This record gives sequence, structure tokens and C-alpha cells, in this order.
Amino acid sequence: MEQFITTTLGQKCLKALLQVWFEFDQQLSKVPVIKRLETSRLSQEDYRNLLLNLRQQVIEGSRWISRCASSFDRSYSDVRSAVIHHAHEEHQDYKMIEKDFVAAGGLLQQIEAAPRNIGSDALHGYLMYQASLPNPVQLIGAMWIIEGLGNKMSLKWAKAIKEQFNCEQTITTFLEYHGKNDASHMQELYELIDRVATTDDNVAAIIRTAKVVGRLYCLQLEEVDNG
Amino acid sequence: MNVYINSTGRYLPGPAISNDEIEEVLGFINGKSSRLKNKILKSNGILFRHYAINTEQQTVESNCEMAAKAAMDCIENSFIPKSKIKILSSATSQGDMVLPGFSSLLQAELDIPNLEINSSHGICSCSLMALKYAFANIKADLSENALVVASEFPSRLFKHSRYEALDNNGIDFNAEFLRWMLSDGAGALLLENQPRPNTTSLKINWIKSFSHADVYPTCMSVGAPSNHDATTWQDYPTYAEAEKAGALLLRQDVRLLDNIVSVGVNGFLKLINDGDIQISSIDHVLCHFSSHYFKGKIFEMLEQAGAYIPSDKWYTNLYERGNTGCASIFIMLDEFIKTHALKAREIILCIVPESGRFNCAYMLLTVEK
Repeated sequence: MEQFITTTLGQKCLKALLQVWFEFDQQLSKVPVIKRLETSRLSQEDYRNLLLNLRQQVIEGSRWISRCASSFDRSYSDVRSAVIHHAHEEHQDYKMIEKDFVAAGGLLQQIEAAPRNIGSDALHGYLMYQASLPNPVQLIGAMWIIEGLGNKMSLKWAKAIKEQFNCEQTITTFLEYHGKNDASHMQELYELIDRVATTDDNVAAIIRTAKVVGRLYCLQLEEVDNG
Repeated sequence: MNVYINSTGRYLPGPAISNDEIEEVLGFINGKSSRLKNKILKSNGILFRHYAINTEQQTVESNCEMAAKAAMDCIENSFIPKSKIKILSSATSQGDMVLPGFSSLLQAELDIPNLEINSSHGICSCSLMALKYAFANIKADLSENALVVASEFPSRLFKHSRYEALDNNGIDFNAEFLRWMLSDGAGALLLENQPRPNTTSLKINWIKSFSHADVYPTCMSVGAPSNHDATTWQDYPTYAEAEKAGALLLRQDVRLLDNIVSVGVNGFLKLINDGDIQISSIDHVLCHFSSHYFKGKIFEMLEQAGAYIPSDKWYTNLYERGNTGCASIFIMLDEFIKTHALKAREIILCIVPESGRFNCAYMLLTVEK
């Protein structure tokens, strides 16, 4: 395997991020809707609800990433380029969610009119605030969690959903797209870790942000059942 | 009080069985050769294993007899007579009888008087749980020695007739998967509160485990049918009906299996974080990965985490001795000690991940000499 992380601090950061990821992965498996998904007990309504709630996160996602890019000054212009590229790639992904929602038997007006759930509200409030701070390197921790979901979970979930429903139309475009593409995003992320994990304070901020984002992401998914 | 492993022993029944001979022993299901066999064997990398059943699928020796042979091998290699053993702590996924506990039967088989016994029940990691019981007893000065035995006899579950007894007579992948993975054998360790001269004494630094049963569904099981029914084997009107429903087959939910890698690496990182492990100080790693497939995945993840331990420090005898469940780590340790010239103060890390419902156990040893 290619070694992306070369610095001692980068490795320290990655080790801690992996641990945060493992804990998050376990918390996620206990969220009721995800538990139903992973144990073949998801209803089609559940899946529509999941998409409905993910849409806001995806829409807001490209907003905080864009804001994050704009908060990096000249000394981080290379990081800014990577983040802009990322934002550009993903800022219309919510359309795939809408398509899947309709294919799964939902109405377009319904998903368009759906408000953010309180977990999404908390998640985006936090992310927009962090993204507005100068040189927000700590958001690498947020990207670690959110890109990790795409990379490690999307295909697994898409497969489980396909097995549970016999749909004529494809209803998992969004999950499959992310499963296939987020591997390259993860590689970009590895490169960024080495670039920004340059002080102990930076590492601590990245880890803390990853933890907060993991908790709030779980809250957002817990709220899927409360809609 | 320090605790030392002063003697080890193992027992593998019958001759080594090659990949081509497996079905001669376990039998052909519905008279046909398996289509999955080669695929699974290629992935797990196992070349030889041992069975305590013969080609008629009759039991040649019981689980308890195998355990006793490994125990005697260990005792004969030790500094004390069997009559001086104070604690017998044993582990198996299934004894010969449902009740009483495995250690009761094993004590009788070994004919050792006045023992304190403990039976540890589970899958791969229950041997380290049995070991921890013994370790903690000596550590707390409650006993001066303990014999720990782990033994497995899964081939009895893999007889062709078990699969043919199913109502619909169709085998699912999850029920057949382990048929090509697991085999029989036993291992034993003798623990004492002092090291011994002229032998290898291994000081047990610690034994720790992390269970994740609260997070994941059951991955490996006996006792429930393949559908997600809440009914388990004893809930059927008769045992025959439970068998027909497939509730007594050994199953692995293969889709969940990959979780074992992240669970194992997670625990490893936790131990590094807590200062229990210094990667650079580890001289040998004995990891009970059930399949060659996982070795690559574990390496990849450790490398990514910057916690890589060079592959020449890893030892396994999985490919030649088979995967004997909870007995594997003791069988591995026994063969490792007997085939390596260990130096004083070398550090050995043992890792036993269990996919049953995701428990991962770790042990750190220091060579005392």
C-alpha cells in the first residue's frame, strides 16, 4: 500500500482519526434506522425518510466546504485549491438523492419541502461556525468522518438496500456514486492530513472536530425516526 | 505476584488432512462435491488440518479426550506432577455434553483430585478468557499454579448428514462456509507464580479484551435458524424439528465478517494509546486470524494507521495445522516456543479476534528465560 502519511505528527493524527472513526462506526451501528438497515429490517418508507433527511446535509455540505475554502489565507492556498475542488465536485449531489427518492416512490415536492431535522441543524450550525474561522484546518476532521461515510459505508448500505427491496428502478444512485468516488477523495484527504497536522494543537483540533461531527452526524440519523 | 507460562502442550488428532481429502472425511453432501470448497480454501490459505472423526464420520476420540491429551503433553513437559495442579480452567465452543461444564469432564478424564475448576464458553477468544481466570487467580495470590486447556471438535457439526437433515435440503453459503475453515485440536498452558530454569518461561504482562456485542448482530452461531426468526433451538417442540429448520448448523454471517478487522485494529490502537503496547518493542506477533484473507486486510489497516509491525515478526501455523477455534492460539504458542530460539526480554503479542459477536482479546508476554 502506498504510504501517504510521512510525518510523525501526521501519523499521530491518522492513528487518532482512525480510532475516532472506529468509535463512530460503532455508534452509527446502534442508531435505530442504521441498525434496521444493516439487519435487513428497513422498510421502503424508512429508506425514503433516510434520503429525505440526508438531502439537507448534502445541500449544506457543499456550503460549509465552500465557506471553509474561503477561510484559508494565502499560506494555505494549496489546501484551498483541494477544498474548492472538493466542493465543486459535490455541490449538486443532492439531485441524485432527489432522483432516488422519487424512484423509491416519493414525491419530488415532498423532499423539496422537507426542513432540516434538528440533528442536521446542529451539525450545520457547528460546521458553518468552524468554517468561518481563519484557516480552519480542524475541518479536515469533519471531512474525515463525512468522506469516510461515503468511502466505507455507501456501497455496503446500497447493497443491503438492494437486497431488501426488489425495485425495478435504481434507487441507490447516490450511495453507489459516493461509494465509488470517495476513495479518491480519501486519498486527497490523506495528503491533506500530512499538510495540516503540523502542530500538536492542530492535531488536537482535528481530532476534536472529527469527534463532534461524528456525534452530531449520529444525532442527525437518530432524528430520521422522529420526523 | 508475577505469572509465568512454564509449559505448553498440544494435540492434533489423526493424520494431517490435505485439501483434496476433506470431503472424504466430512462426507459429500447429497453425494456431490462442493462447488464452494475451492473458492473458500483459496481464500483462507489453509493447506492441512486434523479431524477427530473418521471417514465414516464416526467420532474417534471425544473433545474431552483431545483436551486431556494436550493437557498431559503440557504437564509432562512441566516441573510439577499433575496431582499438584490447583486450578483447571478450560475453554471450548462446545463440550461433548451440553452440561455439565467442560472442566468437570476434563478433570475426570485427567484424574486430578481437589481441583478448583472454571469453564469458559464462547468461540475463538474464550481460551484467553479461561487463561485470564487462571492468570488473575495467581496474580491475586489465590493459587500458585493453574492448568489452562482449550479444545475444539467442530468437525462433528460438519458431517454431510447434518446438512442433509434439513427440511428444504438446500445449503446456504453461511452454513457451508465454516465447513472449509474449522477443524479439530487442543492446546494447553501451565501457569505458575515463579519462572523455571532450563525451560522457556513467559511472563504474562497482561490479558485484555474488548467486546462489541452491543454494537453488531450475531455473526457466528449455532442454535438459530438462518432466517431472522427469534426462535432458537430449544424453542422447537422437538430437537428433530430444530434440526430440520437448520437451527443446529454452525453459521457465519459472512457479510458481517469484515467488521472483525476494524474491531481488532481498533482495540490494538486503544492499547497503543493507553501505553500498553509500544510497537517498536514487539518482537513477535501471534495473531489468530482465521483466514489468510484477513491477514492482508489487517496489514493494510495497520500500515494505514502508522502502526505497522513488519511481516517477518508475525508467526502463524494456520496453514499447516488448520483453524481450531479457541484452541488455535495455544497450539500456535506451543509450536512457536518449540521451534524458536527465544531470547530473554523479547516481547510477544498475542491477538485473538472472535467473530461470534465481535470480541477481541490481546495478551502481552515477556520472555523470562
